[in-house]
Amino acid sequence: MKEGRLNLKPSEEEKAESRRSFFKALGISALLLGGLSRKSDASLFKSPVGRNRLRPPGAVSEEIFAGKCIRCGRCAEVCPYRCVYMLDIRWGVWAGTPLIFVDENPCYLCMKCVEVCPTGTLMKIKQTETRMGLAVINKRYCVTWLEQALCRSCYNACPFKDVAIKLERLKPVVVDDKCVGCGLCVHACPMNPKAINVEPIYSFTRVKWK
Amino acid sequence: MRRFKYENLRFLSLFLAFLIIAVNPFLNYYFHFNFIQGWYQSIGIGKLWFVSPLEGLEAILVSKTLYLPLLIAMLIPVLVALFLGRVFCSWVCPISFLSELIDRIYRIFKGKKRTYDRFTVPKRVLWFSLIGEILVAMVIAAPVFVFLSPPGLVGREIMMMVFFKRFAPEGVVVFVVLALHLFTRRFFCRYLCPLGALLAFLGSKRRLVIERNASSCVNCGLCDKTCPLDLKPSQYGKASVYCWNCGECVDSCSKRALYFRWRS
Repeated sequence: MKEGRLNLKPSEEEKAESRRSFFKALGISALLLGGLSRKSDASLFKSPVGRNRLRPPGAVSEEIFAGKCIRCGRCAEVCPYRCVYMLDIRWGVWAGTPLIFVDENPCYLCMKCVEVCPTGTLMKIKQTETRMGLAVINKRYCVTWLEQALCRSCYNACPFKDVAIKLERLKPVVVDDKCVGCGLCVHACPMNPKAINVEPIYSFTRVKWK
Repeated sequence: MRRFKYENLRFLSLFLAFLIIAVNPFLNYYFHFNFIQGWYQSIGIGKLWFVSPLEGLEAILVSKTLYLPLLIAMLIPVLVALFLGRVFCSWVCPISFLSELIDRIYRIFKGKKRTYDRFTVPKRVLWFSLIGEILVAMVIAAPVFVFLSPPGLVGREIMMMVFFKRFAPEGVVVFVVLALHLFTRRFFCRYLCPLGALLAFLGSKRRLVIERNASSCVNCGLCDKTCPLDLKPSQYGKASVYCWNCGECVDSCSKRALYFRWRS
């Protein structure tokens, strides 16, 4: 029997080496998972809702959204415009919840997702009373406000023209208490970065206990 | 005449149930045929809604709100569990279908049924799994089982593939569950599935049970071997709470000493 064979226990160096490679593999896989994520700021517990990333119409507050939604995906399946996107496990506890990326594919307010939600996460609501967010015009990017061109893409795209968005001296102005936050204006805006964005200001209201 | 086997009827039922969630995303995506939506977390057939009892219970417990349509959608699955027991697991669940498929392929190659389990743990682990899962969900304020439930994930992965042309990474759970099945038959279903535990709990006083006729039983032990849940039908005084009424033992008994009975 060779002497080397008897020494089956790994030396300290070998152990450290294997530990190092294990952590390396762990790091690489974490990087891969993070890098593959659709938006890089996905996190385990923080809500994925943010600028131009909105919940479907009638959604309850983010405070109880993760608890209430049972991730059945019926809203995404029924959406005729395919704008309801389903998150995956890289978004942590928000995996499987619906999200609308309005700059890519806005909500057309057909309200079909609201009809099929079995848990009341998307509550039945009128089109005009939907509050997915509030469109905000960035006057530093908007060519009309900069008086470089006469663009009114957002005004033309709005489903509540002259109610939720108005032209004042040919410049678009959002009417705060009428805007439903569907994101059609964001989708229509030709600027990059977008000169109009939907901010989900209603998504984080505290739940009232009755 | 060949003897009627529950096994074949059950596989047909599993296959049809799987077919719904496998074909339905295509109908939804390519033909905008929205008559059926969802999978076995919540499925809507026209205006008839079903919600899986555990998912519904978690949603109520975690969000601490009640919503009447949710309760009504949970009604039929709960009633089925109360009267028939864990039949969802053995007759509908897509994980059951995939496991049975593996078993059938094994049987074609080996010519005999798998009757061994590599490792087992006490069966009451199932209850701890249910309690632990609900507690964890309530602590982190997000229902865990709804986005990591293997039965739901099968449907979700098919839908993600059709709709968004990619797989969600949590689908690994399904493969882990099926890999465990290769070592111990239905390991996840037996010991870990919280939904199975809830349905078993609801069905503890169920009407449909398997009974043993002690006078015609010859104690050959075939039923004990064939039971995928490692129960002992040959020693039934009364039906086990873990039994999911699959009828494997009824099929295996050559003396017809085991049979389904509607207890009143």
